[in-house]
Amino acid sequence: MGKAAGDEEQVVRVDFGFRRELAEKVEGNLASFCYQCGACVGDCPAATYGSEFNPREIMLKVLYGLGEELLVPDSVLWQCTNCYNCHERCPQEVKPVEVIISLKNMLADQGIYPDFTAKVIETFEKTGRTTPTGPMVDRQRARYGLPPLGPVPMEEIGKLIEPAPEEGGTA
Amino acid sequence: MNRFAFFPGCLIPARHPAMEFAIRQTLPKLGIEIVDLEGASCCPDPIYFKSKDKLSWLSVAARNLTLAEELGLDIFTNCSGCTATLSEAWHLLQDEELRARVNRRLARIGREYRGTSRVRHIVTLLRDVAGYEAVGESVIRPLEGLKVAIHYGCHLLKPSRIMQVDDPNDPSVMENLVVALGAEPVRHRNWYLCCGKACQSDEIPSNMMRDLLGTVQEQQAEMLCMICPTCFGQFDHGQMKVARQFGEDFHTPPVYYFQLLAFAQGVPYDGLGFERQRFKPECLHRFEGETAPVVASGADDRAAE
Repeated sequence: MGKAAGDEEQVVRVDFGFRRELAEKVEGNLASFCYQCGACVGDCPAATYGSEFNPREIMLKVLYGLGEELLVPDSVLWQCTNCYNCHERCPQEVKPVEVIISLKNMLADQGIYPDFTAKVIETFEKTGRTTPTGPMVDRQRARYGLPPLGPVPMEEIGKLIEPAPEEGGTA
Repeated sequence: MNRFAFFPGCLIPARHPAMEFAIRQTLPKLGIEIVDLEGASCCPDPIYFKSKDKLSWLSVAARNLTLAEELGLDIFTNCSGCTATLSEAWHLLQDEELRARVNRRLARIGREYRGTSRVRHIVTLLRDVAGYEAVGESVIRPLEGLKVAIHYGCHLLKPSRIMQVDDPNDPSVMENLVVALGAEPVRHRNWYLCCGKACQSDEIPSNMMRDLLGTVQEQQAEMLCMICPTCFGQFDHGQMKVARQFGEDFHTPPVYYFQLLAFAQGVPYDGLGFERQRFKPECLHRFEGETAPVVASGADDRAAE
């Protein structure tokens, strides 16, 4: 039996390599339990107030292994509001928001972040805080009788955030 | 005296010191002793650093929890984002395999996570430790007739299995705390909505905020009360942006609950940092009159040293 023309384009080839890599991330394997009911969509503010973001579709792409559609600069993943409604609603405990964060971890492995995210991460890795501090901040604090903000022990933080060899790092 | 380790996070101490001041003013009056944590870092934030590497995020969160474990105290947070991170870390680290992975990292700095300190959001201290009645009794300026819309925010309530603060579908803690001040809580159609801060899109947060502020205004609320500094920033700075973008005027001042509590307990309006807000809760002026002396807290003593 010969195949009809165009059939080949209809075939979805599941990229299990991508799914295995995602499953390495903390809670990255949870999408496997998704049965596409859509409970995550109704209460999703990014889906309600925007036109591109849909958590059920993102889980479907994960199930099909369509990593190349999600792991791109300006990915729709960054439109997630992190409100946790999908986590609350999901009857399968998929935690779509956590799967999305694991996908962002894969993007981060490629060095891809939006500018604002990159800036906050840089501030944290340099100072141990995500909000910049300094003499101006301490002057404001003094107005309320509050002591200056001391430094964070960065030697400890630095050692903690270094990946172990089995996690792809050198520590 | 009930003692708790205070995890102030980044945003409140650095950008909103008046909120920290209000907490240090109000909790001791309710029989809660604040014990400062030495050497704490960012929780780390559940949006940005968590997006980079969840395992590192979890390891730093576990380190912060070990600081409270060393003191043998439960830890409380004043920011819903910090609560989200620390509560989730506590929850995830019940898994033995993950705990072992994180403890291998903590061993690099001579620490071990044991899971002996529980995480509490500051509003649960008022509800469960002090009690609503004691909050009401501490008020010397009842805010009678003040219509206060409530913004619960996301991470106070959700995910409920992890946060364990209140029913995410029908919460009551914030309403009860507003009632304790003598004010009138106003529930609006969008009470459930997110502030939108973490969403990296031009369109979505603006649309959300416009809808939310519109429903708050329909209810003729005089302010929008909240318990998260990230939501606060979004409703103060963000409100200005949305007003400009849509050519609408909302005039809904956001207020962090503990500043409202401090005011009701008699701390003068001028000492609470409201002048730094873009939308100021000037409606509070009608309750001025009686004031109470500002109490010296541990933090004051340290500043004076």
